Formats: sequence, structure tokens, C-alpha cells
Amino acid sequence: MKKLIIGGALAALMATSAMAETIGVSVARFDDNGLTIMRNGMTAHIETLDGVDLQMEDAQDDVARQLDQINNFIASGVDAIIVNAVDTNATEAMSQAAAAANVPLVYVNRQPINMDTLPEGQAFVASNEIESGTLKAFEICKNLRAEGKSGGATAYMLMGQLSNQAAVQRSKDVEDVLGMDMCNFITLIDKQTAEWSRDKAQDLMTNWISSGEPFDAVFANNDEMAIGAIQAMKAAGISMDAVQVGGVDATPDALVAMEAGEMDVTVFQDLAGQGAGSIDTALKLARGEEVDKTVFIPFKLVTPDNVSAFK
Amino acid sequence: MSDTSHGTGGLKFDAKKRSWPNELNIFFALIIIIVIFEILGQVLPYMNDQSFLFDTRDRFDSIFNEARLRIIILQVAIIGIIALGVTQVIISGGIDLSSGPLVGATAMIVMSFAQTELVNGNPNPKAVFGEWAFDLPVLVPVLVGLAFGAVIGAINGSLIAYTRIPPFIATLGMFLICRGIAQAWTRGQPVSFPTEGYAFLGKGMMPVFWFIALAILFHISMRYTLYGKHTYAIGSNEDAARMSGINVQRHKVRVYMIASMLAAFAAVILSSKNLTAQSGMGIFYELYAIAMAVIGGVSLTGGRGSIIGTVLGAMVFGVIQSGFTYIKLDAFYQLMAMGAIIISAVVLDKYRQERAVSRR
Repeated sequence: MKKLIIGGALAALMATSAMAETIGVSVARFDDNGLTIMRNGMTAHIETLDGVDLQMEDAQDDVARQLDQINNFIASGVDAIIVNAVDTNATEAMSQAAAAANVPLVYVNRQPINMDTLPEGQAFVASNEIESGTLKAFEICKNLRAEGKSGGATAYMLMGQLSNQAAVQRSKDVEDVLGMDMCNFITLIDKQTAEWSRDKAQDLMTNWISSGEPFDAVFANNDEMAIGAIQAMKAAGISMDAVQVGGVDATPDALVAMEAGEMDVTVFQDLAGQGAGSIDTALKLARGEEVDKTVFIPFKLVTPDNVSAFK
Repeated sequence: MSDTSHGTGGLKFDAKKRSWPNELNIFFALIIIIVIFEILGQVLPYMNDQSFLFDTRDRFDSIFNEARLRIIILQVAIIGIIALGVTQVIISGGIDLSSGPLVGATAMIVMSFAQTELVNGNPNPKAVFGEWAFDLPVLVPVLVGLAFGAVIGAINGSLIAYTRIPPFIATLGMFLICRGIAQAWTRGQPVSFPTEGYAFLGKGMMPVFWFIALAILFHISMRYTLYGKHTYAIGSNEDAARMSGINVQRHKVRVYMIASMLAAFAAVILSSKNLTAQSGMGIFYELYAIAMAVIGGVSLTGGRGSIIGTVLGAMVFGVIQSGFTYIKLDAFYQLMAMGAIIISAVVLDKYRQERAVSRR
């Protein structure tokens, strides 16, 4: 009897707290710069909404932990779940768990492997990754042509973690652009991973410079690595006018480097917009509204001409 | 001779008894690795006329490729500074897993005290504190960092010395605590744009200068002072050290404090070199620092090893890293090769030790 009363009281408590909609969010890594901007975009957006609670978890780059978090969300009866996948190959199990429990699921920023077979009530919010590498590489190709280097130019490429879909995609996009008739005068001397890190990029670039091979451009999968490369080139006395450097993300540090004339091209991925977009999509799904399977938040090209608009 | 299991062991540590100093072996290994890269560079079909260490294109005044020599040591200098502290901890019979996250946490904290007010004439977009924290003298962030390191080290050391929990557990706990501090400090946001004075600390070859200066300092203190002798004594045989009147507990706290202060100083240099602090900084640094020490002949059972060995161990790392880029080896294989090299270094060392013991 006692148990029944306590149980009833608990149920009543939960019923009242369930008046507010709760969204469970599992983010791949809290200490990743880009994901932090996205995360903050979510929290900022939530504050503008009434009666929506956010429960944010850090998956600490651990696939198993992330799946546990999702199951915990389901068990505690959230209205919708947002997942920024640790490993985009491991999303099938998450989709199944959420679909079985009839809880809407939104993937954000990283494209799930089961995109084509996403169950009802699930969606993907991101920027179209193909745009980022392509926009950057094509702009650098145009700049090199404008500098009169169309007779032949060389470049290095700094890549993110090789297990990461964005790194693979961005690198492939650059190589695709370099395969086009208009841009095939650019030859890649070498491409290596610097694991998204400024420090590693600095060391890698210095190693490349030490081989003494002349080069005209540096393609980086993100801004942090582009800045690391810039720091290495400056330390080696290379004039930043002579080299085209391109990154992705348009971080505040990169915009400062661009204003200083060091960085030439970056691409703005509206991460805060993705965070906010994922919340809106999750709420729509929770309320049974119609939602596209893929919600795109567009990339924007940033050059010295329009850099001031992104500060 | 009773000193068998831990090398020369105990207070009787005496370098003269060894006919062939361990450091010389590592030095030879270093040369062999360089020769291997040099040969690979000539043999591999896709490599053009360059050499690994020599200047084949007449870019420098000397016969060496000076840029290569510089990067070999520059890229290991910062982790090398951590390894100097880790070496002392391991010689004392302990282990410190917290150094990597401590680098991340310290970098975040010190950078917040090293920010400049104006960036290209605009207000600093990454300001952590209010106006009072802008353009402080460079000594402020450095002292804040060292103090933070000292506190963390004192906690590590006290836990290990007074509660007697295993160093592995104590520093593993601190590993998580520091990673948490690093993330909580600005909720994961990077901290950037330091003052010019602060940026000078890690500019160009400055990390190498600090690494060598600190290596010399701790070489002297480990080899010629009571501090060093006590550290070796505790690592060789803690009971014997206690009975011969060494205050083992107090000494352990001291060793961990020094190790954490070195890691904190490495964080200062790292954030200055990169002109930014990020909570993810220092990932795996603790493992690389331990690996440098171990490759340099520091025994994980304590009591054996030297600062010179660790410096050479760091150099081995630098040569391998630079060599991999030189021969354009893919990143996947780099990790595998690095792991294999670490394991074989320890196996070889163990084999050599056992032979040395059986010869006696």
C-alpha cells in the first residue's frame, strides 16, 4: 500500500513536470570548439522558448556511452532527442532504439550512416558538408589564377581526424575541385592529418617547410589548422602574401587572422544556427508536425571583402 | 651484490659500475633511426633528391638541413618539459597520469590572465574576465599557472603519500578532475589573443630553450643534490629509504609538486606558442611524456633512469615524427609504427637489463 502511494505521488510529480517539453541532447564532445558553438546555440535558443527544458549530456567521444545516454533519455520519457553522433557509423542502433520507443530523434551536424532509411519521426539538421570544402578550394583556385599562377601551382592539405566524416568529405571536395579543368594546374605535394589541432598543424607545417619544397597554397579542413600553418610559415619567414591559406569554420581567431591579411579564405558553418535548427526540428517532430528528412543550414564563403559582416 | 631487481638499486646508485651507460644505447638507437630514414628517403620511389638531415639543395650555410634539426626538437620540447617531471615521479616509484589534462586546465586558466585588450584595434572577442585582467604583466599568468600546478601536485602527492592509495588511481582521478576544470572554465570556449609579452615565452625556438634549460637544472638536481639521491633511494627501496632516515612522505609530495609545476609551465609555453588555450589541449600528453621517459631508459619499477635518458627519449620521438612526415607515411601507419617502437624499446631495455644482471 505504502509503495502504491509513493508510486502515485511520483507519477503525479512526473506528470506535472511533464507539462514542460523536455529535449535530451547528446553531444559527441564538450571540449570541441565547433561543437561548443553549436551547443551554446542550443542553450541560447532554448532561453527564447517558453516551457522547453534541455538536458545536455557529453558522450565524451565514446560510442557506447552515447547509446546509453539515448536509452536513458528514452527511459526518463523525454519528448525528443537530439544526437550529435560520436561515430556516424553507429547511428543505426540509436535510430532503432528511439523508433521502438516512439520518441522523435534529430541528428545534428554529423550525418548518420542510415540517412536513407531514417525511420518516421527522425530527421537530420546540418549544413551540406560538400559546400564547405568546395567553396574554399574553388575560391583559392580563382585567387591563384588571378595571381597568374595558372601555369602550375603546388599546395599542401591539412586534414582532420581521418575517422571523421567531415574530414574525409572536406578533403575529397578539395581534391575534386583540383580535378576540374579550371583548377587542375594545382598539384598537392602532400596531405596529412593534424587532427583538427593548431599545435599539430604548426608542427606538421614546419616539417613540410623544412623539406624546402616551394608551395603556393595550404588547404586546411578547419581554421584551427589553417592558423597553425600560418604561425609556422610566419616563423619560417614566408610572406603571407605569397601563399593562399584556406580553412573552414570562420572562428573568431580566423577572422582576426583574415583581417591581418594572413588568412585568405574560410567558410562559415552556421553552427549556432544548426543548434537552434535542431531544437526547432525536434519540437516540430514532438508536436507531430511535418518535417523534411534533411534540414540544411547553408554555408557562407568568407573572404577579406566580407569578413567584417561575420564579426 | 644484493641489488638485483632494480638495476643498481638503493643508495648505492653508482654510474661507474656500469661499463656502458644506458644513455649511450639510446643515442645509438637515435643514430640508427636517422640512418633508416636517410636510407628510406633514397630508396622510396616517390622521394626526389632530398635528404632527411642534410642540406642537399644548398638552402643553408651548413651541411645540415637546419630547418629539420630545429623542428625535430621543437615539436617535442613542450611534452619534453612534462617528461622531465614524469621522469622524477617514475624514478621515485610512482606514476603521474594527470599531466596531460593538467596542461589543458592550466592553459585555460593562465590564458585568461594573459589576454590583451585590443586585437587589430578591436576589443578582444575572447575576453574571459573584465577589464582588470587585460594586459597584465607577463609574470602574473606565469605565477598563476605555477601556483595552480603546485596545488594540483600537492594534492596528488599528499593523496599518494598520506592515504597510500596507488599513484595510478590518485592521478587518474586528478586526470578527470583537471579535464573537468579545463572544460568548466569557459564552458569549452577557447581563450585567445594574449599580450605580446606572453606570446614571447613560446615564440620560435623558445620552447626548446626552456626545455634544455630545465633539463640541465633537473639533471643537476637529480644527480648531484640530496633531492635527487632521495628520489632514487625511495624508488629503489622505499622501506630502506625510510629506515635510513629519509622523510619519504614529505619527499613524495615534493616530487609530485615539481612534476605538476613542470606540466603547468609546459601549458604556459604551449598556449603562448599557439596564441590560444583550448580545453582539449594536452590530450595524450601524459602518455607521450611517459613513453619518452620509458624509451629513455627510465624503469617503471622505479629507482632507475636519468634526465639525459629522457631528453634522448624525447629526441627519438622528434626524429620519428619528423621522419614519418619526411617519407610521407600515412597517419594510420604512423600510429602503428609509433606503438611498435615504444614496445620494442622497452623489450630491448628489459632484455639488456636481465643480461646485465646475469653477467654479475
